[in-house]
Amino acid sequence: MRSILAGLPGIPVQWVDRLGENRKSETGKDLEIVKFKGRFVKACPGTRSYNCCGYQILNFGNQCSLGCSYCILQAYFPNPNLRLFANLDDLIQQLEDHLRTSRRQVHRIGTGEFTDSLLLDHLTHLSELLVPFFAKQPNAVLELKTKTAQVDLLEKLDNGGRTIVAWSLNPPEVIDREEGTASPLEERLEAARRCQQWGYRLAFHFDPLLAYPKWKEGYAEVVARLFSAVDPSGIAWISLGSLRFMPSLKAIIRQSHPLTTILDEEFVPGLDGKLRYFRDLRVEMYSHLRELLLSVHKDLCLYLCMESDDVWREALGFTPADRGGLSAMLDRQALL
Amino acid sequence: MVETESCSIQLNKIDWNDTSCLITYGPLPHKLLLSIQTVGLIEPPLLQGKKNDLFRIVCGGRRLAACKKIGLDLLTCRVLPSSMEHQKCLRLAIYDNVAQRALNPVEKSLVLAKMADYLEEPQLIDEFMPLLDLEPSITLFNRYLGLHDLEEVILDYLANGRLNERIAFALATQEQGDRLAYLRLFEEFPYSVSVQEEIVETVEEIARKENLTPEQVLSSKEVRALRQTSKRPARQRAQEIRKHLQARRNPRLTARRQRFAREARDLGLPSGVRLVPPPYFEGSKWILECSFERAEELASRLRHVAQLADQPELQGMMESKSDISSRKVGN
Repeated sequence: MRSILAGLPGIPVQWVDRLGENRKSETGKDLEIVKFKGRFVKACPGTRSYNCCGYQILNFGNQCSLGCSYCILQAYFPNPNLRLFANLDDLIQQLEDHLRTSRRQVHRIGTGEFTDSLLLDHLTHLSELLVPFFAKQPNAVLELKTKTAQVDLLEKLDNGGRTIVAWSLNPPEVIDREEGTASPLEERLEAARRCQQWGYRLAFHFDPLLAYPKWKEGYAEVVARLFSAVDPSGIAWISLGSLRFMPSLKAIIRQSHPLTTILDEEFVPGLDGKLRYFRDLRVEMYSHLRELLLSVHKDLCLYLCMESDDVWREALGFTPADRGGLSAMLDRQALL
Repeated sequence: MVETESCSIQLNKIDWNDTSCLITYGPLPHKLLLSIQTVGLIEPPLLQGKKNDLFRIVCGGRRLAACKKIGLDLLTCRVLPSSMEHQKCLRLAIYDNVAQRALNPVEKSLVLAKMADYLEEPQLIDEFMPLLDLEPSITLFNRYLGLHDLEEVILDYLANGRLNERIAFALATQEQGDRLAYLRLFEEFPYSVSVQEEIVETVEEIARKENLTPEQVLSSKEVRALRQTSKRPARQRAQEIRKHLQARRNPRLTARRQRFAREARDLGLPSGVRLVPPPYFEGSKWILECSFERAEELASRLRHVAQLADQPELQGMMESKSDISSRKVGN
């Protein structure tokens, strides 16, 4: 808390006893800092209908102010304000307890599910707490997932091979049009290059993949620029996931992002009730990305996010079961 | 008890242009005319004196209009003091109406719009939305306020129940030409409310994607042709228009469904046997339905199906292959 306030001189601060949960009337311009009374470590909300990667979430805050048009958090958290949890001692305690009670399991834990992992790291200095903590863990890795270039604090930290820094990637025209104030592609890749130089393993998420008139060329450009920035052998995994969203998000997107074109493509309800591109298009997109990525480095660990075996087989040529299951496949990568 | 004075008022002393307290919308009920003609005016209207010697109608606007139509010129009315604040008069009108009947959506919109001159949104939502049997939410409040700007023809449809408020809310966000185009379509064809909603959404999405207006989509050559084929019954044409719009919005799914239908026909399944693909071709579970009346009939059909299961045609049918060029994406 002190660190955050020190980083925001001149910003008015209001102390309140209680904050409401469902405050649609908020503007999204306030930063809320609260004591969190819930569980900091949770299983990623997957679904039985598709292959789930067994990810775990370390929840240090809710909401994101980057303003991506497709962001599920717009529907997930009615309050648009970014909220951070101040009781980090409790967070670390719960994390220790969680890792201690399941020592045999490999834990892939990420902070980028309910907010961006590094957006406010220069204020929270959370990485200075988490990266050294995970460096000492024999059975866990931390994934910091971001669309920013806020990596300065990572330079001096000893990551012990237990922190993976990950970026969500999209073509520059998509970033410009759909990803609000997120960093441009070249800044994300430059940040990735620096992290690799500092000894971090990297990960990349082509998620959401967006279909637009020149998507093939767009993603080819991203892949080319990615591999001119980083050494592919230092990449832990790359995920591919096409745009999908709960039907209720559609109206929110229309209202908050009237100029977006992401809803123009055809969508069908998936087995989990989310709307997604028609199967053929998803397969085509994944296959295209697979070819682009593996032609550069054939040993890259690629996986699909929330897809069924038949789509895996068709797009990647194997199913998770062929490699011992998706969790096991990623666990092996995590502890390399 | 509201203080009023009973007076005989000439109808030409009523300021018919002052509708500031009127929240009634819709045609004069025939039975009201009949009642006044038969037994006279039972409940006197409530008026308020104005500075120009005229009277403002507070309650009983329809009764007064009926009396005027019948040709009466002198009526006993109750008159509120001219010093009474306008907001109080408006409240009297609103509470008097909601105590007697359910208001139509246009009237609800009028109540909220008129009270918005006096109250802040939260107070207005808390007090008046439950009074109007509406969920007290800002979203719904804004939707009702939006109705206020719709064209008279749409308001008439809404007031007499020929247009659902959900559709009116959707139309309120459109341009005038577009909403009138939707109205003409819904006037012409007997769509349910949920299908009307689907059509508005589908047409809007087609319009965005094809860079047209909804009005242009609804008057496109294909839609016009389907609308004008008067040889077929309206219900059938309504379905064809809906199918055309869905196919235009979902070309991949449509192409896949058409391929499936074609291949299923060519496969030659025995009668009583039906192959059902996964919904939206999502997932890998296909269903085979077989109906039969006798055991030997079942055995015969299953033998036939077992033979088909070995055929490459069945495998081909189940395969996902691109039925549409990827160049169509985003176009």
